[in-house]
Amino acid sequence: MSDLSIPVARGRLDNGLKVVMSHDPTAPVVAVNLWYGVGSRNEPPGKTGFAHLFEHMMFQGSAHVGKNGHFELIERAGGSLNGSTWYDRTNYYETVPSHQLDLALWLEADRMGWLVPAMDQQKLDNQRDVVKNEKRQRYDNQPYGDWDERLLRLLYPADHPYHHTVIGSMEDLDAATLDDVASFFQTYYRPDNAVLTVAGDFNPDDVMDRIARWFGEIPAGGPVPPLPGTPDLAPVIGGTVRDHVVADVPLPRVIMGFRIPPYSSDDFAAAEVARSVLGSGRASRLYRRLVREERVAKDVVSYAFPLLTGQSMLLVWGTGYPDTDPAVLEAALAREVAGLADVAADEVARAVALTETDLVRSLERVAERADLLSMFDLYFDDPERLNRELDRLRAVTPDHIRAFAEARLGSDNLAVVTYVPEARP
Amino acid sequence: MTAASRPGGAAAFDRTLPPPVGAPPVLTLPSALDRTLENGLRVILVERHALPLVSLQLTFPGGGWAHPPEHAGLAALTADMVDEGTPTRSALDISDTLDLLGASFGTTAGYDASMLRLSVLRPRLEAAVELLADMVRSPVVPERDLDRVRRQRLGRILQRATQPAALADDAFARAVYGSRHPYGTPLLGREPTLKALDRDRVVAFHGDRYVPEGATLVVVGDVTRADLDTLLAASFGSWSGSPAAEAGAADVPTAAPRVVVADRPGSAQSEIRIGRAALARSTPDYFAAQVANTILGGSFTSRLNSNLREEKGYTYGAGSYFSMRKRPGPFEASTAVASDVTAEAVGEMLREMRVLGEERVPDPELDRTRQYLARRLPQHFESIDDVVSRLAGLALHGMSLDFYDDYVDRVLAVEADDVARVARQEMDPQQMVVVVVGDRAAVEGPLDSLGLGPLEILTSGDER
Repeated sequence: MSDLSIPVARGRLDNGLKVVMSHDPTAPVVAVNLWYGVGSRNEPPGKTGFAHLFEHMMFQGSAHVGKNGHFELIERAGGSLNGSTWYDRTNYYETVPSHQLDLALWLEADRMGWLVPAMDQQKLDNQRDVVKNEKRQRYDNQPYGDWDERLLRLLYPADHPYHHTVIGSMEDLDAATLDDVASFFQTYYRPDNAVLTVAGDFNPDDVMDRIARWFGEIPAGGPVPPLPGTPDLAPVIGGTVRDHVVADVPLPRVIMGFRIPPYSSDDFAAAEVARSVLGSGRASRLYRRLVREERVAKDVVSYAFPLLTGQSMLLVWGTGYPDTDPAVLEAALAREVAGLADVAADEVARAVALTETDLVRSLERVAERADLLSMFDLYFDDPERLNRELDRLRAVTPDHIRAFAEARLGSDNLAVVTYVPEARP
Repeated sequence: MTAASRPGGAAAFDRTLPPPVGAPPVLTLPSALDRTLENGLRVILVERHALPLVSLQLTFPGGGWAHPPEHAGLAALTADMVDEGTPTRSALDISDTLDLLGASFGTTAGYDASMLRLSVLRPRLEAAVELLADMVRSPVVPERDLDRVRRQRLGRILQRATQPAALADDAFARAVYGSRHPYGTPLLGREPTLKALDRDRVVAFHGDRYVPEGATLVVVGDVTRADLDTLLAASFGSWSGSPAAEAGAADVPTAAPRVVVADRPGSAQSEIRIGRAALARSTPDYFAAQVANTILGGSFTSRLNSNLREEKGYTYGAGSYFSMRKRPGPFEASTAVASDVTAEAVGEMLREMRVLGEERVPDPELDRTRQYLARRLPQHFESIDDVVSRLAGLALHGMSLDFYDDYVDRVLAVEADDVARVARQEMDPQQMVVVVVGDRAAVEGPLDSLGLGPLEILTSGDER
């Protein structure tokens, strides 16, 4: 019902850096956002977790910026900044008061062009320790903390780029060297493997000049190497595969994963709407039946991962009560997934309405806007797609969902990770 | 090449130095329309028409503080029951309607207040507000839904008991305030208190607190005053009621400085919390405390994070904050570190607190910190939800809606002496309660040898 009209302009430097500009002077802030075409999928065996460790090294200074310079300068300017690593990409971003645009551009350009001279063993050892503590804090010391590692192993074969998690393994992190940092940088961190988005309050007449000034002299690189392993993958697993985990968890949890078409596929929209019908909001099927009516679950989750390589994944999970039989919980989840065969038009409308509000709300922030524009440009060479996102979802019909569910959400394409609490001493 | 500068100011180009910057942009703070209706409901409206979106927050004074500790969990349980049924709508009808409206709706209870948030696209505002009014005014609290919600919350208590960060937060609050004090009990409640909360208690708490007199409705977004008035007259016009007196909890106690270890055998890390009961939101030291805390642990480049993360690699992150409430809330520094450096980390955190009180903060660091706080102000007003939060917070604490007008000046006026004074008052390492959730076998000896006084050991089950 509301049509998005986020302003989008594009440019490109001679060195291949793609630029997206979205001008909106509503608030006196500007977001600078860079997506690089590298993520954990580019890591060969023995190097898992390296893309993320490298992302940390990008905050350790560059030729003209001191070790804490990024954070000190941006914080002093009243800005915020961070970065993140994902399967298919790595991003870096700053939001600053609009008169500080050059500061953010300068910092990003310096590490894109002149990172390696600032690297040393002490910084690497320090950030390796930080990342190992990140892994301990967010995964190892958390109940169910290894769920994604277990699910990925079931969904993707050992030679697939998604077989391992973004955080990687402690052993591989230990093996990382300064040479690895330099060669990773040379291979992937080049202007022709990146998208730069500027969104918010800036001068549209000179912003390309500013970008050219800071980034223009960084040389393009050679071709990006092909992904390691075998990215191509059958659309279904070919059976039901399971991992039964007895662990120090408080409540039983059943996680079901399915291979689904990649984010780049036209069919992905059906997966997004299907997952929303299943688990988005309290009137969704899983919440209504499992949480409200049958009370076999205290909470439910559903998610369609926007992944690019071979096949993506959709998951649903339910967390039971102490007396919930995991087999009963799994049967209930499976029944609701199978029930998508009778999905109704009003459920589809509800799912799209929820997505619509979420998207409009998130677009209020220039940082979110910039992040989505970078993604659509990097993934699809099409930042304008942001303004068509809702149309894509609105075009999904119950028939699409039925066809999708029949092809992808059956027992021939199912991975199940079940957690049960270990007996208390 | 000529020396003339190109359009766009390229003359200043030098890659080896941070670029020069121009004058900062002027932030125009939202101007609010503020009035109180006949039934005592205060209504604050900020019109913003950039996007077809409206956000509302209804704030009722009275949250976890308003009931005695033996009813721990009551405010939160009551908030949860608001959208579980009205005389004309079942819980399912409500969910269905909210989803079809594409509305985002949530309820929460804090220690000081109970809050309802609603965000919706403008064309659906009328329908959403009508539903909001129905839920707030007439929840029926069906037994069957209450039983389910209580069970869900008991499940969350079980989950928190296995999450080291949650365990540490709860153990810290209890160690600082005591289990007989509202701030010492989790808002979620404890297993025995939650099990004992029945429908009568929930209905009574709702009747005492969810009333227009003293409550505030903040509305921000794409709606005019005239449209809002029409809406309010239709949905809230006949609403009336005054709040009951709060249960009148005890004064904030002074906890004995000590070390508390909650044993979690086999932990991959230790969760550390260090702090004490500190400041209320009304403190005249508000700005000095913000600056002092930002230096200590309130930003990425703060001393705690620089020391424990960027120098020593002990942790993924370390920080601190003042939780300023109507009564003195906690000052708290926190981190999670590898087990074998637990005592070193505790020692460093206490040392940083001591140094901040004893040694004058260097001018560049003080200036950087003041600039950080002052220049971030525009980001605090970027989205309409941000504006709602800021205004609702001011209203709850009885502060002028002009508070942010001189915010920048007051931040910039904080001097090194102010920082040291607040640090000595509120961050004195001699007065701290230290809580560690981790593997007792690995951490007890080293912690003991820090000489911080008696060690109190909690074992599994003590905390529920």
